[in-house]
Amino acid sequence: MTTAPAKLALTGVSHRFGETVALAPTDLTIAPGEFVSVVGPSGCGKSTMFNIIAGVLTPTGGRVSVDGRDVTGRAGEVGYMLQKDLLLPWRTVLENIVLGATLKGGASRKEREEGVALARRYGLGDFVNHYPAALSGGMRQRVALMRTLAMHRDVLLLDEPFGALDSQTRFAMQQWLLSVWERERRTIVFVTHDIDESVFLSDRVVVMSPRPGRIRRILEVPIPRPRPVSCLTTPEFAAIKREILDIIYEAPPTIEGVPQETGA
Amino acid sequence: MNGRGALVLKVVYPLLALLLVIVVWHLAVAYYEIPRYVLPAPHDVALHIADDWPALMKGFGVTFIEFLLGFILGAGAGFVFAVLMDAAQPVRGILYPILIVSQAIPIVAIAAALTIWLGFGLAPKLVIVALVVFFPVVVNVLDGLASVDADLLKLVRAMGASKLQVFRHVKLPATYSPLFSALKLSATFSVTGAVIAEWTASTSGGIGAYLLQANSRLNTSGTFAAIAFLAALGVVAFLLVVLTERLLTPWRTSSTARRWSRAYWRD
Repeated sequence: MTTAPAKLALTGVSHRFGETVALAPTDLTIAPGEFVSVVGPSGCGKSTMFNIIAGVLTPTGGRVSVDGRDVTGRAGEVGYMLQKDLLLPWRTVLENIVLGATLKGGASRKEREEGVALARRYGLGDFVNHYPAALSGGMRQRVALMRTLAMHRDVLLLDEPFGALDSQTRFAMQQWLLSVWERERRTIVFVTHDIDESVFLSDRVVVMSPRPGRIRRILEVPIPRPRPVSCLTTPEFAAIKREILDIIYEAPPTIEGVPQETGA
Repeated sequence: MNGRGALVLKVVYPLLALLLVIVVWHLAVAYYEIPRYVLPAPHDVALHIADDWPALMKGFGVTFIEFLLGFILGAGAGFVFAVLMDAAQPVRGILYPILIVSQAIPIVAIAAALTIWLGFGLAPKLVIVALVVFFPVVVNVLDGLASVDADLLKLVRAMGASKLQVFRHVKLPATYSPLFSALKLSATFSVTGAVIAEWTASTSGGIGAYLLQANSRLNTSGTFAAIAFLAALGVVAFLLVVLTERLLTPWRTSSTARRWSRAYWRD
């Protein structure tokens, strides 16, 4: 798929909780600066894979490497962001941005200056001294992403970061994320339920399926960048979305194991 | 709310309420011709306060010190208890029964025993006030520690934080709000605790002891003067807690960090 040396690589990574196989042996290679989305229904092992890459869960098999270094089960090697912004209410925006440095023994003047520069660059310069409670949901998620950026990790792991936002804000945040990504040149692994979101943002979309959780297929998104809003309605976009839907709904969707009517 | 509106709500209305009580009290005493040894008129109490000001102020000081030291002692002990209980399951198992028993025994009963063990001085008063604060603090701080979002803990772990760092930057600040709820609740109760302790045995001359003496001499004006001072003490105790809370948890009342705080960024 890619010829560049891998930034992030999963080799035969698998995980079981007791008898249940949460993630069947999985291989995935991501190139430097690549934007890869992971989609799939619940129970497909997305979260397990996410936690393994984040290093908060040690897989029962296989290894994770960043730049060829084995980082299996090691936390702090990749930047990490969730649907909940998880900002600390007692810290200002700036103090939240530099949280990574604080947790490693204290944020220096230089790190705080970098934090302020980051806030200014991405439109929150007037809010560095605000507490999170005074910000809107979209602003809070931007602060959460800046906190992740300020950790200086090449790989960013984002788990449905915009899942809790309304659709207008979510769309604005997607465009904002693309502009950040283009500027910062980080490698992004983006977990989402939203297929439109995955296609709009990514170079490649990893489609997973449940029982056992595994990678079903990896699709390239051939839409050229920069991607204008109008690309959402192009035939290429529709085609790739269709392809993903076909993979996910190959078997008729079920609710708790009961087959559904397939009339529509 | 604008500044003037807030001032009216916080200062003018309470003063009006106080004035109303005094007026009704005065009229009732005059209209029903209540004898002074049953219920003295407000001005009798005021006269008594003026006459006996030094003794009352001394009493106020003594009881205030009992409250303050006991309060800090109890809150500190409660906080340490809660942190230990949160840290380890066996510790929790051992400390929990002690905690419950500390609440089940009536304070008055302990007060008598404490006099035997610790004498007539400051020590038994501190212990009683501390016991009043202890339980609410333990329960609320435990709650605060337990309510920290599991995803947040996962996040800071993924950021490479040590256990100590997690405690210092995530768990500890999360206890402030529930801690201060407990302190506000127990501030006025603590004053009652100090009074009960003084009633049991006191040679130190706090307001509680003053009240007891005035009452035994049917000096009703003196009793009411003491009550007025105790009410004032309760209010002072409460306001002190509120003030400390405002200083330590600025994010609850303000949208930005204070200009003079370390958190505030200046270019």
